Amino acid sequence: MKSARYKLLLLLPAVAVFVLFLVFPILIVLNESFHTFEPGRIGSVEGGPLTLANYAELFQPVYGQYFAQTYVLAICSSAVSIVFAFPIAYCIARAEFAWMQKASISAIVGLMFLSSLVRVYALELTFGSTGVLAPLMSIMDINTNSRLYINFVILAGLLQYCIPMSILILIGAIKNLNPRLTEAALSLGAPALAAHLTVTIPLSIRGIVSAFLVSMTLGVSAFVIPLILGRGRILFISNLIYSRFSEIANYPSGAAISIVMMVLALLLILVMSRLATSLERA
Amino acid sequence: MNVLELKDVTKKYGSFTAVENVSLELEPGKVLSLLGPSGCGKTTTLRIIAGFAVPDGGTVQIAGEDVGQLKPYERNVGLLFQDYALFPHMTVAQNVAYGMRYRGAPAAAIPSRIKQMLSLVQLGGMEARYPNQLSGGQQQRVALARALATDPKVVLLDEPLSALDAKLRLELRIELKEILRSVGATTIVVTHDQEEALSLGDEVVIMHAGGIVQRGAPTQIYQSPANKFVAEFVGRSNWFQVIRSGQSVAGFTSYITSDGVEIRAKSPPSGYNGGSDLCVRPEHIELIDSAAPEALRGAEHNSMTGVVLDVASLGPDVHVVVELPGKARVLAIRKNAGRIQGLAPGQCVRAVFSAADVLVF
Ligand SMILES: Nc1ncnc2c1ncn2[C@@H]1O[C@H](COP(=O)(O)OP(=O)(O)OP(=O)(O)O)[C@@H](O)[C@H]1O
Ligand SMILES: [Mg+2]
Repeated sequence: MKSARYKLLLLLPAVAVFVLFLVFPILIVLNESFHTFEPGRIGSVEGGPLTLANYAELFQPVYGQYFAQTYVLAICSSAVSIVFAFPIAYCIARAEFAWMQKASISAIVGLMFLSSLVRVYALELTFGSTGVLAPLMSIMDINTNSRLYINFVILAGLLQYCIPMSILILIGAIKNLNPRLTEAALSLGAPALAAHLTVTIPLSIRGIVSAFLVSMTLGVSAFVIPLILGRGRILFISNLIYSRFSEIANYPSGAAISIVMMVLALLLILVMSRLATSLERA
Repeated sequence: MNVLELKDVTKKYGSFTAVENVSLELEPGKVLSLLGPSGCGKTTTLRIIAGFAVPDGGTVQIAGEDVGQLKPYERNVGLLFQDYALFPHMTVAQNVAYGMRYRGAPAAAIPSRIKQMLSLVQLGGMEARYPNQLSGGQQQRVALARALATDPKVVLLDEPLSALDAKLRLELRIELKEILRSVGATTIVVTHDQEEALSLGDEVVIMHAGGIVQRGAPTQIYQSPANKFVAEFVGRSNWFQVIRSGQSVAGFTSYITSDGVEIRAKSPPSGYNGGSDLCVRPEHIELIDSAAPEALRGAEHNSMTGVVLDVASLGPDVHVVVELPGKARVLAIRKNAGRIQGLAPGQCVRAVFSAADVLVF
């Protein structure tokens, strides 16, 4: 009994930090989101009445566009990165020699350390409207100022993060999988692709869901990527929240958007883990 | 025609040769045991046949066709893995059915085939269970049913019983033999358990350090091992080191061993160079009362007095350790028929064995 109490005591510092620096600030944000805003002020009216107006406002179509924009691109980048990352992760996890595995993992980790600004500007310099490849694009009759094109460039920016991250997560999942299972499928006559679709992938579904969720988190909270690559024409919710807080100082609205984002993220996790459980027994 | 034919198959991992010049052929419906110590290349040989390892040399033919260029899924080889490798996300029925659709079974025939396979391995009624809801023995049977369900040309079993406890292993061994015979499967069974190898196989192949050292019927392997390694590996044996050989009489030669004991055995093959080993199986040594008359003396018999050091009763067998003159120790195995009651450590006995039963290497 006593030792259990001491163990709880050990948890205390972490809990204190967690409460003070995460839970408490979020509560402040939550509180702020229910207050009214008067243009020209910084933050909400003190002592003003509580209101749901900040949330109601989000039902206007223009906000829907922001949310759709953010989530569609995040989902696309997560899905695409799983498709790209899985075969790579499989090859690395099943590499014949240990040094191959180490070298590949180091290379991927190294890639992730590259500054995000550097990467984003590199993309802009290459694929932007005045980028190196702009003449080529015009030859191929691709309008580098169209929304669709900008979406693709942002997607590329997101993939730069999501693919290496997904590879690392999937390597772990695949290494936990008995390689004999895939071989058993092959020896029973399943061609390689069928064996992977019916055995390897269903049995790595947990890892796939984790990789998807982490990619979603990266995508939904992306800030620099849409800010620079979106050229002001395409903005993510993070950019919207930023402008609410720092450009027009509408704290209540920014807070309401943030809270909605958080709820959506939790819902996503719930749905995905349900999905994973049902897929595992398919 | 041979169902399976390996010719001079060699596999290297870096500079290490895991399998060296292995040649095998297997007739339809025969069961071949592949027996050898750990690391001798048994699994590697199976993986080469199944197509999971690419040989560095030699050819593999299945049903007369060179399969060197064929992928594992193009070979129609049934493989039972040591850890079974059942698909954990599929039911027993789904596991058994897995290979059928890829091997071209008509969809309508699949349910009845599942039923047939599961009743063959005595698992009727377990269709809806998942592998983690089965005991080790049941998992083994599902794996066997799955491997046999596609009616493969060759069935490869890698240590099919090693994950089971001793009692279950014996039961399943008998069952496995019956199942293989009833479906007429052409089979290679890999094992490092000699009893398993000798009882399951129509023929036994002994592997050592990547190569085949002997191939023969189970009795032949035991009674006339090709070399010292086989004699030592299969069955128990008492060894004597010869320091010189004496006179030969009527096809039998007297050897003087390093313990100073004189043992008579068959005359060595021509070209004998003086240094060799003698092997006597424990069950060939008979222990009689030391006071008994030496009725069995003669060129074709060995008879020497000794002292019993230890008597261990192991169920059906009794293992008796006897110290011969010159501190040589031999193990004699006798049936526990109640006749040897009274044999106790310290007692003087006469160890008698026929010269024809002594193996000379
Ligand atoms: N992928 C590999 N890379 C390097 N060496 C290997 C590889 N696979 C097997 N070996 C080596 O080849 C030799 C034969 O291995 P194999 O698995 O065929 O042995 P085995 O006879 O099946 O042994 P066991 O009875 O322990 O299963 C071993 O010494 C092993 O270390
Ligand atoms: Mg093995």
